[in-house]
Amino acid sequence: MSIPTDKFATVEGVRLGLKDVGYIANKQIAHTVYLAYHLGKPVLVEGPAGVGKTELAKAAAAFMDVPLIRLQCYEGLDESKALYEWKYGKQLLYTQLLKDKLDKIIEGQTSLAESIDKLHQYDDIFFSPQFLEPRPLLKALQEKEGAVLLVDEVDKSDDEFEAFLLEILSDFQVSIPEIGTIEATSRPFVFLTSNSTRELGEALRRRCLHLYISFPEQNLEREIVMTRVPGISERLTGQLVSFIHQVRKLDIKKVPSISETIDWAKTLVILHAENLDKELVRDTLNTFLKAQEDIRVTEEKLFTLTENALREAP
Amino acid sequence: MDRTLENFITALRRCGVRISVAETMDALRAVELSGYGDRQMLKDYLSVSLAKSLPEKKVFEVCFSRFFDINYVLVEDILMENDGTSPAIQGAAFLTRALLAGDGGGLALALNEAAGRAEVRNIQYPTQKGLYMQRLFQELGMERLDRDIRRLAEEESPDAQAQVKALESMRDNIIERVGNLIERQLELYAGRRLDEAFEGYMKNASLSALDERDLARIHKIVQRMIKRLKDRHSRRQKAARRGHLDFKKTLRQSLTYGGLPFDTRWKSKKIDRPEVIAICDVSRSVSNVVRFLLLILYSLNEFIPRIRSFIFCSNLVDVSCLFEKYQLQEALARLRSGTDIPILMNRTDYGVSFLDFKDQYSNCLTKRATVIIMGDARNNYWNPRTEVLRFISERCRRLIWLNPETPSLWGSGDSEMKTYLPYCNVARECSTLHHLEKVVEYLLRVN
Repeated sequence: MSIPTDKFATVEGVRLGLKDVGYIANKQIAHTVYLAYHLGKPVLVEGPAGVGKTELAKAAAAFMDVPLIRLQCYEGLDESKALYEWKYGKQLLYTQLLKDKLDKIIEGQTSLAESIDKLHQYDDIFFSPQFLEPRPLLKALQEKEGAVLLVDEVDKSDDEFEAFLLEILSDFQVSIPEIGTIEATSRPFVFLTSNSTRELGEALRRRCLHLYISFPEQNLEREIVMTRVPGISERLTGQLVSFIHQVRKLDIKKVPSISETIDWAKTLVILHAENLDKELVRDTLNTFLKAQEDIRVTEEKLFTLTENALREAP
Repeated sequence: MDRTLENFITALRRCGVRISVAETMDALRAVELSGYGDRQMLKDYLSVSLAKSLPEKKVFEVCFSRFFDINYVLVEDILMENDGTSPAIQGAAFLTRALLAGDGGGLALALNEAAGRAEVRNIQYPTQKGLYMQRLFQELGMERLDRDIRRLAEEESPDAQAQVKALESMRDNIIERVGNLIERQLELYAGRRLDEAFEGYMKNASLSALDERDLARIHKIVQRMIKRLKDRHSRRQKAARRGHLDFKKTLRQSLTYGGLPFDTRWKSKKIDRPEVIAICDVSRSVSNVVRFLLLILYSLNEFIPRIRSFIFCSNLVDVSCLFEKYQLQEALARLRSGTDIPILMNRTDYGVSFLDFKDQYSNCLTKRATVIIMGDARNNYWNPRTEVLRFISERCRRLIWLNPETPSLWGSGDSEMKTYLPYCNVARECSTLHHLEKVVEYLLRVN
């Protein structure tokens, strides 16, 4: 990897570096990024939606100062969308444009076999790198200065694609039949994220370091909100984080994620709120609860939740 | 290789975490980076390189604290308040000296080595605790400690008496702590083996005597089987028949390129996702296995997205929604007690139940559907209405009958199994997990 090693001298350095680019990492995350760099292994990140899995990859790219190349997985994703594709249009256009040229080349030949022989001397022209459309995976391998490759929501892709990923993740090379094997000029730093909609294969897990991110502790989440929402008071942050943590313990369908905590914090700042109160919470519930059923459940307990939040962060 | 890490990986494996050689290498390199000094760092490093899923992480947490706490806690608990100035005793054993001098490090080392020599790692069953404890004491030199204590007791001086007292209580501490140590080692190394033994036993035990306690564990076993079935299915959705050119599609595609067949299309075979209709008998005649049948039904519901579930006794009821709403225990309790379910628990009537199905739900019978009927076919001499079953059988892809009775009893007394048999694609006995496994294997084969 050509990413400067001095950034990865210590774990603390990694943690502070990530903090500089706006990602508050706990020790576990910093340890994982540090280890992944030194072992040169991909990191498989799992956890509930909205805990900052994708964000981690973005922050890592910013921290290492290399481009982030993102591959969003979905059902039916295949090699031509992920790895490379031939530029059919360009190939076709060029054959049309060069028609005269081609005629000239085979002019002198008398038989069909001879013309084909003649053409064979040029056959690789239309299947050369100029006609290759690199897709994210190939692009990541070709980056000279290294890159962060983010394979997002790998659980949404099919089993076949997962198997196909294995070659790239273990050897960092791909083979294109017409051209040959392309090796990574410098190994990309790979993050894979998964929401566990499907059980991933053992083989893929074995090749990766596995990081499970759960919802952060209160003080960490407070720190995250403070960094992400400038101008918010410490007291309000304490109250709203305490409130969110209580809501996460309720029996609701979709628990509010960190990004939703941040949204709510931003809303409160715009409303010039200094303190949480029942009415304010009731009016802004829909910024972090996205199902009518959840809003109803939370509204029932609104009074106790607000009281608790105020008591915890007076 | 690092001995401590090796032992830790053995412990993890015994607890059911699957660790490959490649992962072991990763862990080794990680430990080289971290060393054993920073506990949090060591834990994080090992966690990301060894435990690769959430359940495994949980096992890892437990194993890690059990494994790395053993040495620390033990020694501190044994040594008593001791000024370390006790006069050395002539010809005393190492253990006696270490105890009297308050030498924690030496004691820990001695204990660790003794545990290694006694091969405590190999402990498998709770009944072996005494044996391994004796071995460990022997390796540790407890006899010599006892001898020293006896010899000291013979001396009259108050100093010696005090030492005897201190040594005796420390000896008792050792006995207690070593007991704990063995206990923990048992948990650490034998947890998985007990599970395996249990699984082996459970597979062949008849499930009529299914205990409430074991439900969760059996549920897990059943889940694994059904998941295998489901995995196989989902993987085969797009079995491509490579090598067969699809002329029609290729021609159509080539229109874009002025008739040049640039983009070739190949024939591929699509296999549909399974649609399952499960019908389960809950009458009194199957009351001893009904819990098992419902367990299968529940597990099917967990893994197969498109499934309709019905239970019947005197009539037939759709219970699909119940499985989505409630946890296993709750769902089973509701199904058995009939809370909120309009089911009549009089005499079983297969004929009427099938008729109910035909009248109300025959629209879900498609050429893709597999119908699974679970029941003993004991119809109380009512009209079996084979024509209805035939109607169902003709309209679905496959009809599978799982009968909790052995085939030799089929057709005896009021059993209508023999009459129904011609309309089933498959009819199997299914009263133990072993049977279920066979059924699952059969399904995997024919698919």
